[in-house]
Amino acid sequence: MQNKFRGVMQSPITPLKDDYSLDLPTFEKVLDFHVRTGAPAISWPHHKGESLSLTIPERKRFAEATVKVVAGRVPVTIHVSALAVEDTMELAQHAQKIGADGILAITPYFWTPTREAIHDYFIRLCTSIELPVLSYNSPSYLAGVEITGDLMSRLIERLPNFVGVKEASFNSEKFLEISRVALSLRPNFALLTGVEFLLPSVPLGGVGSYSAAGSVCPNLCAALFDACMASEWPRARELQYKMTRLWHLFKDQYPSSLKGGMVIMGRPVGPTRPPLPTATKERQAFIEKELADMGVLESEPHGW
Amino acid sequence: MSVFEPVLEPGLVHTPVTPFTRDNRIDYDTFAKLIEFHIGSGADSLALPMHIGESASLTDEEQRALLAFTIKLVNGRKPIIAHTSDAGSAIAADRARHAERLGAAAVIATTPYYWTPPPHMIIEHFVAIGSAVSIPFFVYNSPEEMPGSKITAELCLKLIDRLPNFAGVVDLSLDWQFMIELLTYAKRKRPGFALIAGTEHMVSAAAIGATGLFSPLAGIAPKLVRKLYDGCRKDQLVEARGAQEAVAALRQHLKSSGNLKAALRTMGRDCGAPRPPLQAPDAEATRALTATLEPMLRDEPRGF
Repeated sequence: MQNKFRGVMQSPITPLKDDYSLDLPTFEKVLDFHVRTGAPAISWPHHKGESLSLTIPERKRFAEATVKVVAGRVPVTIHVSALAVEDTMELAQHAQKIGADGILAITPYFWTPTREAIHDYFIRLCTSIELPVLSYNSPSYLAGVEITGDLMSRLIERLPNFVGVKEASFNSEKFLEISRVALSLRPNFALLTGVEFLLPSVPLGGVGSYSAAGSVCPNLCAALFDACMASEWPRARELQYKMTRLWHLFKDQYPSSLKGGMVIMGRPVGPTRPPLPTATKERQAFIEKELADMGVLESEPHGW
Repeated sequence: MSVFEPVLEPGLVHTPVTPFTRDNRIDYDTFAKLIEFHIGSGADSLALPMHIGESASLTDEEQRALLAFTIKLVNGRKPIIAHTSDAGSAIAADRARHAERLGAAAVIATTPYYWTPPPHMIIEHFVAIGSAVSIPFFVYNSPEEMPGSKITAELCLKLIDRLPNFAGVVDLSLDWQFMIELLTYAKRKRPGFALIAGTEHMVSAAAIGATGLFSPLAGIAPKLVRKLYDGCRKDQLVEARGAQEAVAALRQHLKSSGNLKAALRTMGRDCGAPRPPLQAPDAEATRALTATLEPMLRDEPRGF
């Protein structure tokens, strides 16, 4: 059976009012925009959705809105990673209760846990719910804390609902090792990556990614995925290079520049919560110039 | 005014070890046989002495003599790329100049040993070496071996503006973000700019656009490496995954010069032990290594 988590999946940003409070009507528009423009799945709130700057009640409230607005049109996963593992456990329970299709969870933040502690963490999390769990591996952001191939195999063997990974080491050797181990034990394991890095991952067994720039360029996301799955490598290279220029534009103080880009695309979503800055008018003007240079203003949808 | 852009497509580059006699002198008789073996088993070019060839354990005089010996022996049958890294910019530049005089096809160098200069001085270091010659100059990016100085895509782009003969990067970082960003922007400045995989993790690099491969393992498993390389160059990337996994498994055991030389002995190509401070594996470790490698190397050539 094919895993339902594949393609360039969209993780919506979190719209805020000028006083930094949650903007529910705009969030509903963001969700609907992603589904209508071809997102094969929705996942919220990623770091791009300012997950760690939201309170736990806020996360629950918008998780409920996500499930309700998407309304079964595509699968919904809830990103449950929180500073306190106890909050993660609570968010996972909540995701199951509201009818999400799965959860996504990164290795614990801050404490640089040992490999055994990471193992125990995923065992505790995955046995606490029946939902499918996607793990999230990001050693370069988390000071070397990582899910190795060996740990991956122990978790897959033990946990029937451990169904995939967002593998964001962005490293050929690490990705290959996880792919080799995971696909041999669970052939439909969802081997995903971050930032639309499809080109280097698909030939090694990758079936999709989350998206950084999808709220600006959903058409490019779909075209890149199709080219990679069809092994049209020269075309895929051209599209990935274009995507890289967008990533280069948005990765600075991510997601504040992305929110700035959405203003240009006619989909304003408000400021970014401190400690991250909000894109200034000057930054927005620079983004507009770059988007125009790339042809994005013509090739991608404007407005909601 | 036309911009001078020397071109070398190095293809599959074998990186030979340096054989030593029991009393630690370069063993030129064995080296001659080894070079003929590489040429006869699929090398498009040779690069030496790389780190796997214990460059940093050879005196300046030995490095020059080894290169002269190789160029004379090969006599134009294959291009020879000279590795001239050193701690001091002038020392590395002078060795590069010598390499060009001898007839090397290109020069390659990494960041300075030991020192941790700021980015603008790393650029000056590379400019000193690259501008000492008119043949193509490649930067060797090996962050695990050279942790003191980071080579970023931004640094490489500045170097393109400074050095007309800066022809490409040989990448050992395996870092998708670096490789994608580098090619996205470098190709806009210099269309012939090359990304070359610095070790046998080639599938992801080739997807991104790498056109060459530096292979230390080619001395052990030339057939397997050739299969991986050919698949990648034909853009049969999904199909190349099998060969990629097989080479990656081999590489796990053969990253060090000591183990590689022990494996060469079991393949009937005895090149002696590494020079101090590197050590050969002890008898027990060698037996274990041989037992592990045996089933992986059944189809590979024995002897010189």
